[in-house]
Amino acid sequence: MNRSKLRSPNSGFRIPHSTLRTSRRELLRLGVAGVVGFSFSGWLESLADDTATHPARRRSCILLWMTGGPSQMDTFDLKPGHENGGPFKETQSSVAGIRISEHLPQLAQHMESLAIVRSMTSKEGDHGRATYLLRTGYLQQGPIRYPALGSLVAKELGSPESELPNFVSVAPNRLFNQAAYGPGFLGSQFAPLVVGDALFGVQQPGQQGDFNLKVDDLSPPTGLDTKHADDRLELWSWLEQDFLSRHATPSAVSHRTAYDRAVRMMRSEAAKAFQLDEEPAALRDAYGRNRFGQGCLMARRLVERGVPFVEVTLTGVANNQALGWDTHANNFDSVRRLSEVLDPAWSTLMEDLKSRGLLDSTLVVWMGEFGRTPKINPNQGRDHYPQAWSAVLAGGGIHGGQVIGRTTPDGMAVNDRPVSVPDLLATICVALGIDPRKQNMSEVGRPIRIVDKDAQPIKEVLT
Amino acid sequence: MSTLSLAAHRVISALASTALVQFALASVILLQAGSVLAGQEALDSSGKVASASPDLSARSLADRIDRILTASWAAEKVEPAPAADDAEFLRRIFLDLAGKIPSAGEARAFLDDPNPDKRHTLIEHLLSRATFPAHFGRTLRDLMVPGATNNLQLQILIPQFESWLRLRLTDDTSYDKIVAELLTFTTPANMNPRANPLGGEPSPALFYLFNERKPENLAASTARLFLGIQVECAQCHNHPFARWKREEFWSFTAFFGGIDSGQPQNIFAAVQERSTRQGIKIPGSETTVEPRLLDGTNPNWSTGDTNRAMLARWVTAGENPFFARATVNRIWAHFFGRGLVDPVDDLDESNPPSHPEILDELARQFGYHKFDFKFLIRAITTTRAYQLSSQTTHASQDDPRHFARMPLRSMTADQLFDSLAQATGLEQQPISPRGADAVRLNSPKAAFQSKFTDPGISRTEYQATILQALTLMNGQIVSDATSLSRSENLQAILEAPFLDSAGRIESLFLATLTRRPTTAELAKMQHYIDRTDSEFARKQALSDVFWALLNSVEFVLNH
Repeated sequence: MNRSKLRSPNSGFRIPHSTLRTSRRELLRLGVAGVVGFSFSGWLESLADDTATHPARRRSCILLWMTGGPSQMDTFDLKPGHENGGPFKETQSSVAGIRISEHLPQLAQHMESLAIVRSMTSKEGDHGRATYLLRTGYLQQGPIRYPALGSLVAKELGSPESELPNFVSVAPNRLFNQAAYGPGFLGSQFAPLVVGDALFGVQQPGQQGDFNLKVDDLSPPTGLDTKHADDRLELWSWLEQDFLSRHATPSAVSHRTAYDRAVRMMRSEAAKAFQLDEEPAALRDAYGRNRFGQGCLMARRLVERGVPFVEVTLTGVANNQALGWDTHANNFDSVRRLSEVLDPAWSTLMEDLKSRGLLDSTLVVWMGEFGRTPKINPNQGRDHYPQAWSAVLAGGGIHGGQVIGRTTPDGMAVNDRPVSVPDLLATICVALGIDPRKQNMSEVGRPIRIVDKDAQPIKEVLT
Repeated sequence: MSTLSLAAHRVISALASTALVQFALASVILLQAGSVLAGQEALDSSGKVASASPDLSARSLADRIDRILTASWAAEKVEPAPAADDAEFLRRIFLDLAGKIPSAGEARAFLDDPNPDKRHTLIEHLLSRATFPAHFGRTLRDLMVPGATNNLQLQILIPQFESWLRLRLTDDTSYDKIVAELLTFTTPANMNPRANPLGGEPSPALFYLFNERKPENLAASTARLFLGIQVECAQCHNHPFARWKREEFWSFTAFFGGIDSGQPQNIFAAVQERSTRQGIKIPGSETTVEPRLLDGTNPNWSTGDTNRAMLARWVTAGENPFFARATVNRIWAHFFGRGLVDPVDDLDESNPPSHPEILDELARQFGYHKFDFKFLIRAITTTRAYQLSSQTTHASQDDPRHFARMPLRSMTADQLFDSLAQATGLEQQPISPRGADAVRLNSPKAAFQSKFTDPGISRTEYQATILQALTLMNGQIVSDATSLSRSENLQAILEAPFLDSAGRIESLFLATLTRRPTTAELAKMQHYIDRTDSEFARKQALSDVFWALLNSVEFVLNH
């Protein structure tokens, strides 16, 4: 079908026969199960149906996660001249009329691939709750443990046979809410493989090498040769088989499967994705010799090897006192330092993906748990602000070179096209070819949609 | 396609295991047919009828449960698993009551004890040890504030909360009193909530912070935890299929309407009760509703009652049909991996119990015995059902609703770490009544547990992760424990002059799997050791045996 028509809801296009049939079946299925009051509001559902089933849309996602809540006023939605604006200047991007922070100059040159959403809005101003909301799409309440976005994508796009895990989390800082980083009711098989767990994740000045971006315990203890390792694995396997023969259940099989996958990964070529020293020094320099920069490089290496979801967290940077982007004091100094890490890493990632032909199939998302107060506090800081903030979508599936929504001149409110958190997550899903309305069975026996049913994908950013 | 078969299709597609498909098909039909019966059973458990039935001892209650199960097995043509042998029982009861496996010494002593009543003696012993309040305190903590261990802000208050539960369980405080204390908690005037939590007084404050001191969250948690009723959906709208309407939800929520939430963002702010009784406004409407109980009755106020005191009295009253049922169902689930009603939070008419008579009898007896956990535990662990093997011997056992075989259950991160420490001789922090050992940040235990955090799915649907496999295969704890130069435990076994190599293999099996090796296993391990030629290589081979045992599925699961 002609996709270009889909972008314009007013073009009067007709739902093609095949889509209609799918939707009806879906409708029936849900209606009969008594699960939802189904609202069939027309073309958006059809869009999700179409994209979800399109064979060419197997994509990967790299989430650049900004722990602490980045200041929109000093990154992607500047208000120069206003008293809330602060000292930063704007820089003209490669797309006429779109300007971003002067401290993101290299990224500004990739604007044709970027869609800035300046009208994000939510109600959660607490780190733990907002982190949960942004990373799962749901509020943390009741007995249901919602899966992180990465786990949901891993389930939809990943292969259980792959040598690498389908969800890799690079340098996460899970302090604010560990539950927001897990597979929830989808179960451990969709848990992230964590590389470089950074509980307090602050990078020390002058730290070199791979910045501890390692998969914990990926290598056997030193001194264990392959023959010896094989011998004891054979012994293990014999014991395992013995137990399985007496307890033929999925739980017991799952243990064996996890070990098989772990051993396969330890010994696979694909595990070289974690060996950053294979990359030319100049490229590593370009990404930035810091945890986040090298993490972005690792993300590219993982996506290249077919991993469907990789997240890289920007938390601590050298000489920054704040916990990530939580800049309650000295906001401008901290945001400048963070931007100096973010800019080369993200722009090199875009460049690198593009030169390898991966940008069209890789969605890059930039977001944190909320924005920061437009009003500058007496400590030259900005506090938590969920009412109006920014997120960025780029690359695969995204119609770049545009700004979605607008905030008021003082930055205090969204005054055009508000976008909710579920809206953003639904957009990510559709861009990845995933139907956000699809349901998974939760631990309380109730089916839960990948994204809340009221979510509306931002249609104008989807290609 | 009929409505019923479409619904069945949905259930089936949600199940991972094809082995369960047949059961699912059958259960859909049972569910439809069962809902009418369930309504009657609910009536049977109300105060009036209950007062007619006799007060049973734990052992008689266990017998009664077994008679009901045996009859249901016969009716359903189910062939139950054989009885668990002593070793299987020993490991299971230690994990369930002490939160970790026994030491090799404890295992040897029990297995060699000729006393025919030794299982009973062991249950009593484990109920009297300090490990019981520690482990059960954690179990109740996971129930009351699920996921708090993964939240930085809430984590700080876990020691206070756990030590509160421990103290109550140590004193054998009955569950109705524990719950009433929780529901009526206010921060004492002389207590500085910001004080070092480790030095802080034991307190249930965490429950309020966990629920953000919001009346609607507290009401939903209370209904779910202590009444087995899910009312959350009614918070925002009238759910077409659920019983609870929006006004009922907010009328129930009104019991928490007196809690001062002036500083919602400050987790350390005190929990206070405004003295006046008042209603609560339904958000987004002009309607104000007065406190009303979930059974539709108006509260029977006494002078000086706060809203929450009234609520606590009703929730924990002997004649409340929900409290005892919800609690015994959860305790049953603790020991069997699933409730008589499953999911455990949903004691709705549309979700009937697999064995209504057992649920009713347990609830009734729990009430008679003044909500005494230990009575309930004695009865449940004495049943033949609890003492069945986990070995698959007949396909009819595959339906978990029959309780005809002990399912394999995953351990909590606490159970696994403590069992690993037990098996390897890792130094363990002593149990402190003040809960100091509950602190997690920045300890090897915290690092380990972050990888083994419970994913929140059913205990009977264990799923291992790659990261967990890597941690146990290559990680520090197991590497040290199996290192010839670093492991004292292993050294002791390897050097013991009174042990031959069969004796050494046996010791490793007892330390890890709580059993002696079978003849075939012993032969296999012997062969593995004997194929080497040097003394050093033989020691290395024994350490490989230890490694393989610690990595085995049999070690990692409760079975």
